[in-house]
Amino acid sequence: MDETIQAQEAAILEDIGEQLKDYDQNRGSLIPILQMIQQRHQYLPPDSIRKVAEHMEIPSSEVYGVATFYNQFRFHPPGKNPIKVCLGTACHVRAADVILENFERKLGIKEGQTSDDREFSLERVACVGCCALAPVAVVGETIHGHMAPSKVEGLLMRIQIHKEMAEREKEKEKNEQS
Amino acid sequence: MSSPETIRQRFAEIAEKAGTEKAAAAGRTVPKIHIGMATCGIASGALETKAAFEEAVAAQGLEAEIHPVGCIGHCYAEPWVIIDYPESGFPPIFYHEVTPGKAKMLTKLFLAEGDPRFEHVYGATVENEMIPSVTEFPRFNKEKRLVMEKCGKIDPERIEEYIAEGGYGGFAQALEGSPDAVIDTIEDARLRGRGGAGFPTGRKWRLAREAQGEEKVVICNADEGDPGAYMDRTLLESNPHQALEGLAICAYAVGAQKAVFYVRAEYPLAVKIITQAIEQAKEAGLLGEKILGSDFSLEVEVFQGSGAFVCGEETALIRSMEGHRGMPIHRPPYPSEKGLGGKPTVINNVKTLATVPPIIEKGADWFKSIGTENSPGTAIFSVVGDVNHPGLVEIPTGVTLRSLIFEVCGGIAKKKKFKAVQIGGPSGGCLPEEFLDTPIDFDSLIQAGAMMGSGGMVVMDEDTCVADVSRFFLDFTQKESCGKCTFCRIGTHHLLEILERITEGEGKEGDAEQLELLSREIVKGSLCGLGRTAPNPVLTSLQYFKEDYDAHIHEKRCPGMMCRPLIAFYIDLEKCARGCDACVGVCPVDAVFTTRTRKKGIDQELCVKCGECVVACPPEYDAVKKVSPPHLAPVIERPPETRTESKKESS
Amino acid sequence: MAIITVDGLSIETEPGRNLLSVCLENDIYIPHLCFMEWLDPPHASCRLCYVEVEGKAGPVPSCTVSVASGMAVKTDTVEVRSLQRTALKFFLSAHKVECKVCPANRQCPLQEMAKFLKVPLKSKDLNPRLKEKDLEALQPCFEYYPNRCVLCGKCLHTCERVKGQSLLTFAGRGIDMTVSFYGGLPNEEISCEECAECAAVCPVKAILLVTG
Repeated sequence: MDETIQAQEAAILEDIGEQLKDYDQNRGSLIPILQMIQQRHQYLPPDSIRKVAEHMEIPSSEVYGVATFYNQFRFHPPGKNPIKVCLGTACHVRAADVILENFERKLGIKEGQTSDDREFSLERVACVGCCALAPVAVVGETIHGHMAPSKVEGLLMRIQIHKEMAEREKEKEKNEQS
Repeated sequence: MSSPETIRQRFAEIAEKAGTEKAAAAGRTVPKIHIGMATCGIASGALETKAAFEEAVAAQGLEAEIHPVGCIGHCYAEPWVIIDYPESGFPPIFYHEVTPGKAKMLTKLFLAEGDPRFEHVYGATVENEMIPSVTEFPRFNKEKRLVMEKCGKIDPERIEEYIAEGGYGGFAQALEGSPDAVIDTIEDARLRGRGGAGFPTGRKWRLAREAQGEEKVVICNADEGDPGAYMDRTLLESNPHQALEGLAICAYAVGAQKAVFYVRAEYPLAVKIITQAIEQAKEAGLLGEKILGSDFSLEVEVFQGSGAFVCGEETALIRSMEGHRGMPIHRPPYPSEKGLGGKPTVINNVKTLATVPPIIEKGADWFKSIGTENSPGTAIFSVVGDVNHPGLVEIPTGVTLRSLIFEVCGGIAKKKKFKAVQIGGPSGGCLPEEFLDTPIDFDSLIQAGAMMGSGGMVVMDEDTCVADVSRFFLDFTQKESCGKCTFCRIGTHHLLEILERITEGEGKEGDAEQLELLSREIVKGSLCGLGRTAPNPVLTSLQYFKEDYDAHIHEKRCPGMMCRPLIAFYIDLEKCARGCDACVGVCPVDAVFTTRTRKKGIDQELCVKCGECVVACPPEYDAVKKVSPPHLAPVIERPPETRTESKKESS
Repeated sequence: MAIITVDGLSIETEPGRNLLSVCLENDIYIPHLCFMEWLDPPHASCRLCYVEVEGKAGPVPSCTVSVASGMAVKTDTVEVRSLQRTALKFFLSAHKVECKVCPANRQCPLQEMAKFLKVPLKSKDLNPRLKEKDLEALQPCFEYYPNRCVLCGKCLHTCERVKGQSLLTFAGRGIDMTVSFYGGLPNEEISCEECAECAAVCPVKAILLVTG
C-alpha cells in the first residue's frame, strides 16, 4: 500500500513540475498554482509545497503559510467518495448536525477524515447554496436535498452496491477476455 | 479620435445584430421551454427534467426549443419551467416542481395535444383572460427587479441574449460621456455599496479617480462568504454580463485599465460562466483595446478566491490576490488610495456593480424614485428557514420585514408562529416580532441592531432556539477568524465556549453578563470588520431574547427545543398504536423498542435526538413528544430482551 | 515641530512621527506587544496600545496614529484601560502561565502589563485555551513553544528584514494559528544559527535557539 502511495505521489510531482512551466514567478500566481494542483490531484502532497517554493524562489514556509490559511486546500487525499455535509444557516436550523453525526457514526470516521481504505471522506462545508432543499449533503458531485438521518444508511448502501456492481462488471470482462 | 457618434454607431451595430437574432427567434412558432439551470435548479433535478423533455419531444416527433436559463430565485418551485407555446392559444405558463414524469406528461398533453393541464399550472407569466397570472401573487408583484431583472429570462451563456434585452447600452452610453459624468450620476443616484456596509459608491469611485497613480484597478467582489447567502453566485450564474457591464463602467469612471472578478473557487459553475462571459464580451468588442472606437481599453480577468470569509474585508482580499495569507491590514491607507500592488483600487460587490448599468441608462432620478430616500434602489435577500416560499427576493428598500416575510415569502411554514428573523448573516442581528414593521434599508436595520450585511435572512419559527443560532454563527466566525488580532482570535473563542456551555445545559450564573461584556469589548477592540461585527448575533439575541438564555442557564430548558442535550423524546403510550412500527425502522441507532404491550418506547440512553421518529409517526397518532428539560420525559422501562447488540453488520 | 498634549503633558516632537514611539520616549507607558518602530504599516495586531485621541470616536491603537500638531491624547481613560485589560486577559487565557520555569520570567511583557493593569496572571472568568503541543522542534535549530507564543509577528518581520524574505510564517488560522518554520532553509548566505534574530526579538521566549 505504502509503495503504491509513494508511486502515486511521485507521479503527481512529475505532473506538477510539468504544469509549473506555465506559471511565472509573480507572487500573485501562488494561489492559482495551488488551486491548479488541488484541482488536478484533489490535495497538496507535502513535497508539492517544496516544489512550488522552488519554482517561485520563495521559502517553503511562505507557501505552507498561505496553503494553511484557506479552506480550499487539503493536505490529505480525499476518499473516492467524498461526502460533504452542508452546515450553512438554513441546513443548521434543519438539524444538519444530526446528519453529519449520522455519517460519522456509519462511516466510523470524524469530519475532516478519510476512511482507512480511502473509500470515503467526510467534510463539513459552509453553504452549497441550495438552502431551499435543506438539509443537504453532497456525495461526489451529486447534491442530495431534504436529507434525513434515516437516509444516510441507504445512501451509503447505494454507493457500496454501485461499487460492487462495478467490480463484478470488471470481473466479468476479465473472465470474458481470458 | 473617438467621438460619441462612433461609439453610438459601433454599439448600434452590435445591438442590431443581437436584436435581429431575437426577432428571428420570436418569429419562430415552435414552442419554447425555458428551464432554470443554475446550481440550485440542477440540485433539484433540472438536468433530469431537461433530459426528459428532450426525450419526450423526440419520441413524440415534435419540434420544440429547449432554452436553459438561469435562476429566478424561486427556490421553492425548483425545478421550474416556463412553456411558451403561442400556437396553443395560451400565454406563457409557469410550472413548478417539474419532475421528469411531469415533463413527459406536459410534452404529451400540452405540446402534442394542446391541453396545458390546469391542475399543474402555477400561473401565466403575463396577464391574460384565461389563466390567473403570477403577477397576482405577492411574490411577483411586491418584488422590484433591477439587478435580477434578466435572471431566468436569458441564457447566461450567450451574450447576444443579454444585448438583445438592452444589455451594454449603459456602458456604451457611459463611454459617450466623460468619466466624471459617470461618477456624477452615481453620486447623484445615492447608490450605496450592496456588500454590507452601505458606503456611497460614487464617493469610493471619486476617491480612486482622484488618487495618484498611472495604473488603477477595479475589482468585483463575488467572494460570498455568508453561510446562508447565495445571491452573488446566482447572479453570476444567471446573468454574468450585467455585473461585467457594471465593472466596465466602474473601470471607465475611475480610469482603470485592469479589472478583476474575484469569485469563490467553490462556485465552479459561476467561475465557468463568468470566464466565458468575459471571452464573449471581448469577442464582441465590448472589452479589450479601444472599446467601441473610444480611447478606453480594459482587460478583465478572473481570480478564484480560496475560501476565507475574512477576504470580504477589502485589505484581506487584496492580500490574497497578491499571493499572501488573507490577513487584513490596518486602514488607512484605504485601497482607493493604495490597493492591489500599491495601485489605487476600487472593490465593489457584484450587486452594487449590477445596479450600475440601469442607473446609467435610466438616470439618477429614476433610481431615486425606487425605495427610500437614503438607501434608494433595491435590496436582495436570500430568505431561508421556516417560510413557505424561500428563495432569492429583490424588493425596493423601505418594504417592511413583515411584508417581506409574510407576503412575499408566503409567511411561516406549517402554521407555526413567527419568533425571530436573523438578518445579515454572521455579522448581522436577530430581531423579534416588535421589529417586523422596520423598513428594510441600511440605516433602519442598523438602528434596530441588525444590518443588511451579506443579505442572508433566516426566518425562525417558535421552534427555534436563538441561543443555538448565535452559537452557530459564532462557531462560524470563530473558525473563520484569521487569527491576526487578539480580540477576534481569542475573544470569539471565549464567546463560543460560553455559548456552547449554555446550549449544552452547562451554563453558569453570570454567563449571560459575561457574554455581553466580552462582546462589547470585541466590537470595540478588533482590527477589522469581521471581528467588530462577529458579536452582533450574540448582542442582539441577548437584548431581545434574554429569557431564552435565562431558561437555558437557570432551568436547563431550551424553549425552542433545539438544543439536544436539553431535550428528550418520548412516546405517549395513550396515543401510540399497538403494532405500528413506523418509528422503529427510521431510528438510526435502534433506540426505539417495543414494550410488552406492543407499544413503543424510546431508550433515552441510546437516543441521539434526531427527531426521525417524530416525522415517521403517522399524524393520526401523533404519539412522539418532545420535552425540555429532558427529565420531564416519563420513564418507560426497556424489556431486556429487546436490547439487541447494535445491528449485526452484514460483513 | 509639533506640540501635542498627552494626559495634559505638553510634548514637542516632529509631526508625522508614530504616537506610540513618542509616548514611550517621553516615559509615558502604554502597554504594547507587537509594535516595531520600523515596520510600516504597523502590524497592529495585539490591540493593547489603545489611547483616546480628541476628535476621534472611540479608542484607537496608538501605533497606527501619526502625530499632528495640536493633537490631544489621553492614555488613561476608563474605556482604554478596560480594552487593555480585556486584551491582556485574552492573551493570558491562551498562554501557559508557568512563570517560574519560563526563561522570560521577570523580563516578560505579559508580567509587566499584568502588574501595570492589575490583571491576575491566572484568570478566574476565562477558561484557559492552550494548544495541544507545548513544544515543537523547528527546523533547523530552534525550539518553538506554541503555548508561550503571543503571535505578535516580531520574529517574522525581523527575519524578513534581515534576510529579505521571512523563513518563518504564520500557519493555520484563528485560534489554532502558530508560527512555523516549515520546510527549513533554502540555500542561505547567513545561517539561522549565526543570525537567531527571531529568537532574540521574541518578547516571551517562545522561540529558543538550540545550541550544540
